[in-house]
Amino acid sequence: MAVDESGRPYAHPLYDTLDHFPGLSLATTSLDRLLSWSATNSLWIFPMATSCCAIEFMTSAANRVDIDQMGAVIRPTPRHCDVMVVAGTITVKMAPRVKKLWEQMPEPKWCIAMGSCAISGDFYRDIYSVIPGIDTVVPVDVYIPGCPPNADQVLVGLKRLQEKVELHRRGLVPARDGRPEHDKMIDPAIGRVTDADRDASTTEQQLAASRDLGLGGNSRRASDTPSSRQGGVDEEAT
Amino acid sequence: MAALDADTWAALRGAFPSALPIDADPSGPVVPVDLHVAVARFLKESLGFTMYVTVVASHWPQADGSDRFEVATVLRRPSNPSVTAAWRLQIGPEAEVPTLFPLFAGADWQEREQFDLVGVRFTGHPDLRRLMMPEDWEGHPLRKSYAIDTPHPPWR
Repeated sequence: MAVDESGRPYAHPLYDTLDHFPGLSLATTSLDRLLSWSATNSLWIFPMATSCCAIEFMTSAANRVDIDQMGAVIRPTPRHCDVMVVAGTITVKMAPRVKKLWEQMPEPKWCIAMGSCAISGDFYRDIYSVIPGIDTVVPVDVYIPGCPPNADQVLVGLKRLQEKVELHRRGLVPARDGRPEHDKMIDPAIGRVTDADRDASTTEQQLAASRDLGLGGNSRRASDTPSSRQGGVDEEAT
Repeated sequence: MAALDADTWAALRGAFPSALPIDADPSGPVVPVDLHVAVARFLKESLGFTMYVTVVASHWPQADGSDRFEVATVLRRPSNPSVTAAWRLQIGPEAEVPTLFPLFAGADWQEREQFDLVGVRFTGHPDLRRLMMPEDWEGHPLRKSYAIDTPHPPWR
């Protein structure tokens, strides 16, 4: 009985990259597509784990969610890894160390900011020793909002990164992700510092001080609104 | 649990009869600064308090604008760990206390931490550098005068 594959619910990525020959156990594809497919499914992760998000990140590697199913292996060394997951608050003292480890990772490399502290500093943001988001230090590709994000959200973030890697391998420039809006990323019962609550000059001063550390990063401006940062194809290459 | 049990206090009073107050304060007796090392040595060598637990410094700004500091030291006796010995020092704006590092090696990082965060200098400490904050940090964050939102170099 013939099987109609047009409506099949399961779309493994390899199905799109292989050409099937009826009656033959043989398939051809271009080497580039094969490499692209393997690159998106072997993202090795360097956990830059500084605080409680790290615990939640560990559960994403445990058997309920199991990011191993996507070929994401956690290796505690920057030299083997493609992705740095920043899970936790980054202090002024830690930021140069994070930058140093980031520079030790071989190209191509990606960065995921996991949790609201890594994204914006969250309620530690006004403390003298905390930097306002890891994207003032290294360029961030994917933001995983939450405090902490649960293991499923880590999986979704990795899926989003796979899309970006796939586009990158095809020579396309993926849209840059913006920082998530605060009211979507946190429990609204807990009062937190948001960009809207703050004096814009304070934020500008803080980000300028972050740039003065000489660490690079996305160099986001305080005048960027969340809506202007979302969506659209970015002109800059990532 | 009192900071100092009655037997320990009686022995301390016997060793330093004129310098210590009659009654032990429940939160730890206030000891003159120049007796700090002597009290620690007596507790360690005569009473068996060989375990250095912690040192905690706190900042008490006065109404006239001057600074006072209080430094509390806690020891423990390994043979009977439920018994602690704690005493306090009250010092002025010079914020200098003799170190206990020659008696207790464990005082090394504890005293560095208090120096870093509160700014109490432990005289005689062999390596009194910052522990928590970056090396080029200015100021001591746990002082009451260090407001959380005032700009402090090198950060903000």
